Amino acid sequence: MPRAPAHGVPFGEIVLEAFANLRSRGQRSGLALLGIVIGTAAIMAMLNIGHVAQLETMKQFERLGIDIIQVQGTPNGGVPGFERALIDDLPRTIPGVAEATPYATQQVTARADGKEASIVVMAAPSVMAARLALAPQAGRLLTDVDDCAQVGVIGAKVAAELSPRVDDLLGRQVALGGYLFTVVGVLRPTPSEGVSVARYDDAFLIPLACARRVLPGDLATGVLVRVSAEADVDRVDLELQRTLPNRTTLVQTVNARSIIETMNRQKGLLAGVLAAIGGISLLVGGIGVMNVMLMNVLERRREIGLRAAIGATPRDIQTMFLVEAAMLAAAGGLAGAILGLLISAVLVKLFNWDFAIAYHLMPIGPLGSGVIGVLFGLYPALSASRIDPIEALRAD
Amino acid sequence: MLKLAGIEKAYRTPGGVVPVLQDLSLEIEAGGLCAIVGPSGSGKSTLLNIIGLLDRPDSGQVFLDGEAAGFTSAAEAARLRNRLIGFVFQSFQLLPRLTAWENVALPLLYRNVPRAERRPRALAMLDRVGLADRAGHHPNQLSGGQSQRVALARALVSDPRLLLADEPTGNLDSVTAGEVLALLRSLSQDVGVTIIIVTHDRELATTCDRRIEIRDGRIVADTRVC
Repeated sequence: MPRAPAHGVPFGEIVLEAFANLRSRGQRSGLALLGIVIGTAAIMAMLNIGHVAQLETMKQFERLGIDIIQVQGTPNGGVPGFERALIDDLPRTIPGVAEATPYATQQVTARADGKEASIVVMAAPSVMAARLALAPQAGRLLTDVDDCAQVGVIGAKVAAELSPRVDDLLGRQVALGGYLFTVVGVLRPTPSEGVSVARYDDAFLIPLACARRVLPGDLATGVLVRVSAEADVDRVDLELQRTLPNRTTLVQTVNARSIIETMNRQKGLLAGVLAAIGGISLLVGGIGVMNVMLMNVLERRREIGLRAAIGATPRDIQTMFLVEAAMLAAAGGLAGAILGLLISAVLVKLFNWDFAIAYHLMPIGPLGSGVIGVLFGLYPALSASRIDPIEALRAD
Repeated sequence: MLKLAGIEKAYRTPGGVVPVLQDLSLEIEAGGLCAIVGPSGSGKSTLLNIIGLLDRPDSGQVFLDGEAAGFTSAAEAARLRNRLIGFVFQSFQLLPRLTAWENVALPLLYRNVPRAERRPRALAMLDRVGLADRAGHHPNQLSGGQSQRVALARALVSDPRLLLADEPTGNLDSVTAGEVLALLRSLSQDVGVTIIIVTHDRELATTCDRRIEIRDGRIVADTRVC
């Protein structure tokens, strides 16, 4: 007997058939998918939050770059602080330091026209505003000429608290402790970020020279260090930690790398939880798919027998059920991906981050669950292809 | 057309080996209706399964068109069935989800006939069995006689050499059964397909060209009605 020409039903036809078969038993298929939907949703939420977190991390350093080290003095018995001369000398004493800007901050209550606002007095040399990329929305920034004058530049949020129209604040006096400071400028709203000397929207910038009038001492309580391009941030950071501490002052440093590490740790924890939920749900979902497909095979024994009798090979039957399982699971994956995006949108909102969609990761949902469908559909498909057509056709 | 030589088949049961077919040989020439009759348990269904390449004999050979129709795998058997044999069953075995023409076209799917070609071929076959106007109906919208005619169209759509019908009128009333039988007869003449009917209905069997009676796995009578 001559061999029959190569068989094999075209894949497109199998997919069409599988689609029609699934549609005809919609409701039960849908219920079985719950696990797949939840699993995929958890994993897609995790991936998308990871993506958003990545963007947030990048945003932290967008304005100032990643070559910044922030040094903060903390008390160690006595008033903490660094001598200005020591700070000004840092670019010469520690290799790799490009700029070192001293500053001092203190939370105080400001009063103007009977209104009160809690502000952070930030005393710094006039170059500080430029080095922090701060810009005024009204008035001007501080200059060297202001030296020891009682003038200041106010943050956007406290400005709004003290006066309904920020422009009205210009030239007005704000009481800090026992001293009156004249507002010469109002800052633009500026987000706090990875390396933030203060919450800029709550700040009141004054010249460092005469800061002792409103601050506890004359010393700088912090230093903003910019590392030169070729220098190793971590090495400079260690050197600062080694040289700056003194009798009354301990030193804490923050740099981009340490912030990114912290953020990654937080992200990793969240990702771990979501991955665990996702993994378990997908396993449950896979078993659900297997269950539905086994029922399917059982109920369609006669159909399988008939198809075999009229020429379907065991492989044709296997493929038919595998494609059905894969499509069933992929449909769940699609629904899960959409749900996952919604979940990530809610979580991102809670973290106060800006939502974004990781489009390049979206195919993972349907594709990944399609693979789960194939894996868990393998056994039902195999058992379908092993059905004896004689027995199956006799069944009622 | 069909030749069986020394077919033996036995089933192993816990109680021992039960012989079903014993050294069975027969030859059926092309064309015409041939009935295989016998009481239940006589082995006629097993014989039909062996002729239909759904089952394999323990020994002996099946020749179709002068060639040994042996197979070593289920896939090979499926391909041979698809090419050479059409099946008609007592309970029609139409897929409820598919329309009449889609049911008829099913064997063509497994023969890799392009989609565009399947529909006209299925419709032409439905026309032959007188059901052109039922092409879009689902099986639950068809009567028993109509269902069996759709099944007949499905069995013949792929131009088989041999049509095997297992109690094709068993689920039909006598009038409808007569109609289906007349259709089978006219098709055997028009299409030139050889039809083998397995039945325990002696009346039906007498209308066939040849009647082979089986008892206890052996041929006990072979009558030609000419």
